[in-house]
Amino acid sequence: MCANILETTDLRVEVNGLPILSGVEIEFESGKVSAILGPNASGKSTLAKTIMGLPEYDVVDGDILLDGKSILDKSISERARLGIAYAFQTPPIISGVKLADFICRICPDYQCKAESDYFMGESCSCKSELYEDFDRLGIGNLAKRDLNDGFSGGETKRSELFQVLSMRPRIMLLDEPDSGLDYDSLRIVGKELKAIREKGDTTLVIISHHRYVLEYLEVDRIYILQNGRLAYTGDMRDIPVLEEKGYDRFLADVMR
Amino acid sequence: MNSDDLRKRAIKAKEKKAEYGADLDLEEYSYSSAPGQIESLDEISESDRDLVKDVGFNPSQDGVSGSFLQFDNEGIFADVLLKQEGLEILPITEALSKYDWLQDYLWNAVSVDTDKYTARSEITDYNGYFIRAKAGACIQMPVQSCLVMKRNQSVQNVHNIVIAEEGSELHIITGCATPSGVEQSLHLGISEFYVKKKARMTFTMVHRWSEMMDVRPRSATVVEEGGTHISSYAILSPVKSIQTYPEVHLVGMNAKADHYSVVYGSQSSSYDIGSLLFLEAPRTHGKVVSRSIATDASEVITRGDLVGLSGETKARLECDGLLISNEASIRAIPMLHAKAEGAELSHEATVGKVGADQLTYLMSRGLNEEEAASLIIRGFVKLKVPDLPPALQSSIDEAIKMSLEGGM
Ligand SMILES: Nc1ncnc2c1ncn2[C@@H]1O[C@H](COP(=O)(O)OP(=O)(O)OP(=O)(O)O)[C@@H](O)[C@H]1O
Ligand SMILES: [Mg+2]
Repeated sequence: MCANILETTDLRVEVNGLPILSGVEIEFESGKVSAILGPNASGKSTLAKTIMGLPEYDVVDGDILLDGKSILDKSISERARLGIAYAFQTPPIISGVKLADFICRICPDYQCKAESDYFMGESCSCKSELYEDFDRLGIGNLAKRDLNDGFSGGETKRSELFQVLSMRPRIMLLDEPDSGLDYDSLRIVGKELKAIREKGDTTLVIISHHRYVLEYLEVDRIYILQNGRLAYTGDMRDIPVLEEKGYDRFLADVMR
Repeated sequence: MNSDDLRKRAIKAKEKKAEYGADLDLEEYSYSSAPGQIESLDEISESDRDLVKDVGFNPSQDGVSGSFLQFDNEGIFADVLLKQEGLEILPITEALSKYDWLQDYLWNAVSVDTDKYTARSEITDYNGYFIRAKAGACIQMPVQSCLVMKRNQSVQNVHNIVIAEEGSELHIITGCATPSGVEQSLHLGISEFYVKKKARMTFTMVHRWSEMMDVRPRSATVVEEGGTHISSYAILSPVKSIQTYPEVHLVGMNAKADHYSVVYGSQSSSYDIGSLLFLEAPRTHGKVVSRSIATDASEVITRGDLVGLSGETKARLECDGLLISNEASIRAIPMLHAKAEGAELSHEATVGKVGADQLTYLMSRGLNEEEAASLIIRGFVKLKVPDLPPALQSSIDEAIKMSLEGGM
């Protein structure tokens, strides 16, 4: 089965009237792992945030299709409920909301309280499983902390990944899940993602500047953005060449 | 002070305007009262039961050590559950005739001539509760109290005295409630708290008034050496106006006081609420923490004043406000006043809106806008107010839920 779960068609995006993406066409195959690559400021994060539906990103042309249907008129919440999840690079602090409680609130598995529970599942009975997950990700220390309050860079990455994993989404948009991580954390994150890939029911879209995780995951596709356009589509074999040449020369050579 | 002197001072202060809050014409209300007695909590009607439950009063008296309930100025119920040694709960009028010494505590923490409201409270008939934990008594279960006001155009005039004697421990959960629909009425509430040497008193109060009520509580606490006073206050309902500025005097070494308040402003209500902490002896310390949320066209003023009268003292003030309507306003007025070297006073005040990026973030996790806003507001309220009693927390949740369902 290789249906496209998500695709963008001729996508043009502006922020405050300033064009950022122009004519981006990408098809994400269901269950596959794709990497979005490209120089700084080329529009990678913009693409992910636009798919998630963040309000500052105006789609002025083109479309975003989930299972072949446009989601442009869907709110962020609706997109999340349709199975799209995005891991933020710099998430805001939410005071008074503990990470563990929040995970309970958003995770279908952990949500053991009645649906009518308006607030968080503070008396959630599956906390033991939750804490195992915290420990596996090496962030047990964050469980009782306020969401994103004083989390270190590497902790933020893992907390974001944990939240996104907990939502059991169909598509995970991960914005540099591997940046700023120490060797051990990198291995933890790599393993988590590998496990998801092996289960095969989640489509992974990974924005990255490093080859380690991409190679470890054996990504299926790479897309290179440049100046807000899709400049190249390739696969894993391109990654070492890319690292050697850098984006400018790599793209110049392939264009020739 | 004898009662003649008190009355004279009160009469002199009859026209004295309060420092803060809208000035009320006290001649507009009727001050009738005919003391009555409620023999058992089974006597109260179903709707009254619901009303008192709303502010945390449990009519079946589970998990409490005693109860006090008062309707307007008359129907009174006071009960200490069996086996609560060392606890006393009485209507204040009864207590004053029973104990001569109690006269010394009357208008001692609060001055009778503070303003026209205290004066009026003395001049007209009052009732209220007297609660005492005797020396060394450790009353683990809370005492619950509720003051209900149901009559129109009237004044509920309450005078409470609470004493935690040396080395005792006393927890009080108290609520004030009016059914909505009560027209133009006034609640005058004098509360005097005495925390003796090494005693510990916690006091949690929930207010639920109606749109036409004016409320002018006047309260003060005196904490002696090594004593602790922790007070949590929440007002979650609309009100016409409320103005209160409770004082705490830490008069003995190592005395401590923490005051927390939560104001959930709605409709076109006006709230002027603060805490005034006097550090009068060395090594006294305390905190004044307030969280205000303003919805609809409500107007919230939060004051806090720390007065360092002795060295080796430390206190902190935090006033944070969250604005969730363009017509609402919040004014945070923190004040620090050091009069002695070595008084370490600090404050922090913030007023802002629910951040768009916070909403977006939570929505991207599948919460809808209303749920996301509730979570942010609830987190904001909960912040740093430790051990919020469950009844109070659920009242807060309910208020948040109601106002968001209406507004978003
Ligand atoms: N909210 C915004 N407001 C203003 N400009 C924005 C906004 N979001 C993105 N941009 C601009 O759009 C361009 C693309 O940014 P984007 O974050 O998508 O780049 P990126 O490819 O993710 O880069 P990096 O590798 O550095 O993370 C940049 O020039 C950036 O400044
Ligand atoms: Mg980026």
